[in-house]
Amino acid sequence: MRTLRILGAAAVMLAVAVGTATAKDQVIIDLVNEPATLDPHLQWNPDSYWVYRNIFDNIVTRDNAGAVVPQLATSWKRISDTEIEFTFRTDAKFHDGAPLTVEDVVFSVKRITDPAFGSPQLGQFNKIVKAEATGPNTVKLTTDGPYPALLAQLVKLSVVPKHVVEKVGKDEFNLKPVGSGPYKLETWQRGVQVTLTRNDAYWGDKGGFKTAVFRGVPDAATRVANLLAGTSDLVVTLNSDLAAQVEKSGRAKVLTVQTERVAYFAMNSFKAPLDDARMRRAIAHAIDKEGIVEGILMKYPKVVGELVSPSHFGWVDGVESIPYDPKKAKELVAQVGAAAKTQMDLATAPVYDQRVVQAIQQMLTDVGLNVQIKMTDMATWLQGQQSAQDVAPMLTFSRWSCACQDADGIMFPLLHSSSAWSRVKNDRIDQLLVAARSETDEAKRKALYGEIHALVREQVSVIPLYADAIIYGGAKQLKWTPTPNESMFLNRMGWTE
Amino acid sequence: MGRFFLRRLGQAAVAIFGVTTLVFFIQRLTGDPTLLLVPETATKADIEAMRHTLGLDRPLLVQYVGFLWDMLRFDLGRSFIQNVSVATIIGARLPYTLALAAGALFVAFAIGVPVGVVLAIRRGKLSSGGLMGMVLAAQSMPTFWSGILLIMIFAVWLGWLPPSGPGGFGHLIMPSVALGLLSMATFARITRTSILDELSKDYVRSARARGVPTRRLVFRHLLRNASIPVVSIAAIEISHLLAGAVVVETVFAWPGLGLLTIQSIVSRDFLVVQAIVLLGAFVTIGLNFLADILYSIIDPRIRLDGGPS
Repeated sequence: MRTLRILGAAAVMLAVAVGTATAKDQVIIDLVNEPATLDPHLQWNPDSYWVYRNIFDNIVTRDNAGAVVPQLATSWKRISDTEIEFTFRTDAKFHDGAPLTVEDVVFSVKRITDPAFGSPQLGQFNKIVKAEATGPNTVKLTTDGPYPALLAQLVKLSVVPKHVVEKVGKDEFNLKPVGSGPYKLETWQRGVQVTLTRNDAYWGDKGGFKTAVFRGVPDAATRVANLLAGTSDLVVTLNSDLAAQVEKSGRAKVLTVQTERVAYFAMNSFKAPLDDARMRRAIAHAIDKEGIVEGILMKYPKVVGELVSPSHFGWVDGVESIPYDPKKAKELVAQVGAAAKTQMDLATAPVYDQRVVQAIQQMLTDVGLNVQIKMTDMATWLQGQQSAQDVAPMLTFSRWSCACQDADGIMFPLLHSSSAWSRVKNDRIDQLLVAARSETDEAKRKALYGEIHALVREQVSVIPLYADAIIYGGAKQLKWTPTPNESMFLNRMGWTE
Repeated sequence: MGRFFLRRLGQAAVAIFGVTTLVFFIQRLTGDPTLLLVPETATKADIEAMRHTLGLDRPLLVQYVGFLWDMLRFDLGRSFIQNVSVATIIGARLPYTLALAAGALFVAFAIGVPVGVVLAIRRGKLSSGGLMGMVLAAQSMPTFWSGILLIMIFAVWLGWLPPSGPGGFGHLIMPSVALGLLSMATFARITRTSILDELSKDYVRSARARGVPTRRLVFRHLLRNASIPVVSIAAIEISHLLAGAVVVETVFAWPGLGLLTIQSIVSRDFLVVQAIVLLGAFVTIGLNFLADILYSIIDPRIRLDGGPS
C-alpha cells in the first residue's frame, strides 16, 4: 500500500512537471529531425532552414500572400537584362552588435557561389556571376544571362557576417552562427533541441515569444501525441489521417496551406510502350485525381492540370486536368495492343505517400496495365531519376518543389531534354522553356508558359496531379498562417490567451 | 587467465576489422549521399563538385586505405551531413543510449526474473498459464505499436508522463518499458527453464526433505545456480537492446545512437554509420568477454583457460 502511495505521488509530481513545461513566453516546435546545419549556406532541408531563417535575414523575403517584398534590401532596380542593383537598409545589426553592411552582402553572395566552398545550394545561385558594392548601401548583382527568377531565388539567400565567418571559420560558424535575424541562437543541444531567444534589438517585427525550442521528433504519431499532450505548440508534416486525429481530439487545430509542391506522374517516353502517346493518354485517363485528393488526401491538396501550383509565377487559369475516364483508358489500351501489357516499374521511395502510389497502381491495373511498385531508399530513387533514359524508371510518382515559386524551377528540370530528370523530347517545348527562362517581360513570359502547359497536356508529356498541401498541427491558442513556400518565421507567430 | 585474455583480444581485433571492412564496402555498394545533398536542379558539374568536396570521387581502395589509417589514429572523421566531427556527434548521443539501455535492462531483469521464478514454481497451475500468456503477449507486441500505445495512454489520456524526448527521470520510463518488454519475456522464459532444470536435481530434493522453505530454497540455492544461462542471455540481450533502440528511440524521439543510426543510414552519412557499427562491435565483444568472466565468478568450476577443472 505504501509503495502504491509513493507511486501515486510520483505520478502526480510528474504530471505537474509535464503540465508546467510549456510557458506562454516559449513556443515549442516539433520538426521531423534536428537541423543538419545552422550555417545557412550549407544544408537547405526544411528542418534546417525552418530554424536558421529565424537567425538570419535574407536579401528579400515573401509575405504571407506570396509576394516578394523587402527584407534587408529595401528596394531594387533592373539596370539591364543581366544586372540588378539593390539598396540595403542601414539599421540592421548582427547579434554581436556589429552593423550589417553591403560588404557582408557581397561576401555572402560570393561565399555561396564559390564552387570551392562546396555549398549544396550552389545550383540555385550559380547564375550570379558577380556581386559588387556600388555605394555605401547599394550592391549590384550580375547574372550570366537574363534571369527573371533571380528575385525568387534571393528569397533564400541569407546574409552572414563577414567579420565573424573570417575570424572563426566555416566549422565553428556552423556550431555558433551569428546572424541579424529576429532570433539568436541560445543553445544547440546536439540531437535533442535547438533553443533560440528573441533578438530584442531587431530592426523589424519582433517575435511574440521570448524563446523558441525546435526539437527533432521523427515519428509523426509521436509529434501528434506531443501536441495533444500539450508538450509542443506546433508540429510539422502530418498526413491526412493524423490531421483527422488532431481535428477529432478537440485539443489542437490543423493548420494547412496548399504549397508550391506539385505532385506529378512521369512516364519514360523514350521506352516502349510509353513512347506511344496513346499509352500515356490512357494512363492519364486511368488516374482518378479527384478520387485521390478527396478519398485519400481528405481534400487538402488541389487537383491541377498544369505542372505548376497556383502560387507559382507561370500559373495560367483554366488549364483543365485530363479527366478520369477508365472506359476511354481501356479503349486506348486495346488500341495499343499487346505492347500495353509490358510490365512497367513504378519507382517510389518511402518519403512519398504510399497510399497514393498504391492507389495509382490499382487504377492502372484496373484498365489492363501491368504495373509493379519498386520501392527503394531515397538516394537510390534519386539516382534512378537522374539516370540515362534507357535505364531510368518507366513510371514515377513524385512531388517537386523548387522553393522559388517560379515555373522555371519545376518545368525546366522536368521537361527540357537537357535535364537529367526529363523523360520528354519535344523540340517546341525545349524552345519555349528556354525563351521563358530568359524573358524579362512578365506578361510575355506568362504567355510562353501557357503555351507549354497546352503542349504538355496535348502530348501528355507528364501528368500533373495536384498542388500538395502541407499540414501542421498547432495549439489552439497559436496564431500563425502557413505559407505556400513552407516558411516558418517566428516573428509572424503569436499567442492568444 | 592471461592466455584467455590474449586469445580474446586477438579474436576481437579480427572481428572489429571484419565488421568495419564489411560496413565500409556494403554502404558504398549502394551509392553515395551526394544526390541527397544537392538540389534536384543541380547540374552534373555541381554533383561532381560536391562529390569531390566529400572525397567520394577517389578510388574505393584509396578511400579504404584512408579509412584504415584514420581508424589507427582513432580519427572517426567528419559527418557529411552535419559538418562536425563524428566523435562529437556520437559523444552527444551515447549517454542517452546508455541511460535507455540501463533503464530497459532494469525493467527486463526486475520483472523478467521474478516472473520466471513464479512460472517455474507454479508450473502447471492456472495462474502460471495466465502469466505465461502475458509474457508471450509482451514479447509479441511490435515496439513501434506498444510505444505509441504507451504514449497515448500515459501521456495523452492520463497525462502522467511526458510523451517523448529526453528530460528528467519521467522521460525515461516509457521508452525503458517499451524496450525492456521484449527482453523481459526472454529473461522470464530462460529463468523458468533454468529453475525447472535445477528443481529436478538431487540437492533440491534433499533440501526439501530437510524442510527448507521454498522462499529460502529459491533465493539461496536455485537463483544462483540458475543464473549462468541468465547472465549469458543478458550479454546477448544488451546487444538486442541496442538494436531495438533503433525503433524505440524513433518512436519516443529519444536522441540516442539508435535514432542516429537510422538517420545516418537514410542520409548515407557513411562515417557516422561506420563509427556506430565500430562502437557496436566493441560493445558486443566487450559484453561477451564480461559474461565469460562472470561465469567463472558465479561458478568457480568454469575455468577461462580451458583444460581440466
